[in-house]
Amino acid sequence: MNDQLKAILEVFIFLSQEPLTINKMKEVLGEVPEEELQASLAALLADFNQENHGIQIVQSGGGYLFTTKPEHDQWVRRWLQIEKKTRLSTAALETLSIIAYHQPITQAEVSAIRGVDSTYSIKNLLQKKLIKIVGRKKAPGNPLVYRTSEKFLEYFGLNSLDDLPKEEEIAKILEEEKQTIS
Amino acid sequence: MQPGNSGKNMMEQENQDWPVQAEETEINQQPTSDSYQVKLEFFEGPLDLLLFLIRKKKIDINDIPMAVITRDYLDYLEKKDQINLDREAEFLFIASLLIYIKSQMLLPREQETITEDDPRQTLVDRLLEFQKIKVASSLLREKEEVELQRWRRAFLPPLEKPDELELLQVSLFDLAETFFLIMKRKERENLRVIKGKDVSVEEKLREIIDYLGKNGSMDFLDYFSSQDSLEEALVSFFCLLELVKNHLVVAIQEELFQTIRVWLRKDKAPHQVHGPSHE
Repeated sequence: MNDQLKAILEVFIFLSQEPLTINKMKEVLGEVPEEELQASLAALLADFNQENHGIQIVQSGGGYLFTTKPEHDQWVRRWLQIEKKTRLSTAALETLSIIAYHQPITQAEVSAIRGVDSTYSIKNLLQKKLIKIVGRKKAPGNPLVYRTSEKFLEYFGLNSLDDLPKEEEIAKILEEEKQTIS
Repeated sequence: MQPGNSGKNMMEQENQDWPVQAEETEINQQPTSDSYQVKLEFFEGPLDLLLFLIRKKKIDINDIPMAVITRDYLDYLEKKDQINLDREAEFLFIASLLIYIKSQMLLPREQETITEDDPRQTLVDRLLEFQKIKVASSLLREKEEVELQRWRRAFLPPLEKPDELELLQVSLFDLAETFFLIMKRKERENLRVIKGKDVSVEEKLREIIDYLGKNGSMDFLDYFSSQDSLEEALVSFFCLLELVKNHLVVAIQEELFQTIRVWLRKDKAPHQVHGPSHE
């Protein structure tokens, strides 16, 4: 049974178009003891994350998905005949960081932190679906309020917002920089 | 900032990190006294420039010598022959803020005993926050770099889902927002007895298509308001959504709360119209 469940989970992850959540697994499987599910999943992950596989299962965006490994990047690009994937612009990344750490947040608030008008960057991020509109703020002008999306997590390989670089981590880096200066 | 830099050694790599442009490109012109120059265009914004100057001078961010930093900052602005207001307004704004802070510090205060806030504090807070964001950005950049090398299957047989892409082009949120606004207006007007007339979606669809065929485009707000009853107006809105979904029309709303302009798609002939799908 255990081996069978493991194989079924593998099928599910293979079929899923987005990171497959535990809830979705349960929803489709119906009644399966929690422990059994966890054990099978752990076994599956262990199977796949061995050195001899080209495909791995990663936990990202709140679920599980198959990806290739970074070391095979050049082979994938050779196969697809693609040079390099485009990265976010510095402006977009800055705007995204602000939204990630200060969400929910309005365009004006983002612009105030950056010291630069951020209308364009926000539009750009909306188009890329890395952020989403979650409503309007009860303030003059009822400005739109933004949050990061599920796709944001997936894009950066984060499982949840808790995985964002922590305040202490950032403080530590700044402290190290300070010492390099003096 | 260059990609893939570990945030940890940002300072060691300062020369690559910061946009330094050598003068080599201007060999034929007379060399300037500066060994290199940094162009304003390379900074993401005024705070970016300010932070750069503070680092270059190895200044403690909590105790900024305003006169020195303001002069440096203005030097950068003066390198420009012309001011491009669209872009440089933000730089000028911070320049005026710097000068303002300096003037605040120079003004004698009547009561020194009252512990006034340091006029620099707001600026320092902003810089500290911005600095954090820059580090966070560089950490996210590293993650992005790794993730971009992990490929996933992006294509699969399409699921039986309605294609929402066309709707998103108009921004569903804005469309709905406008809808509710007009609904409210309509409700207010519609206090009389509702006529017992049934409006079918099919009829309405045809009516809209005919209207578009005749007039080319449609001001949806006007059309909506000219409907006889609330029910009819509602049906016309559903028809619009239906038409957009079936790729028969293009709907564009230039700005929030403004009207939605509707055009017939050129590649679709009107006779292709079918009734609404039953979902």
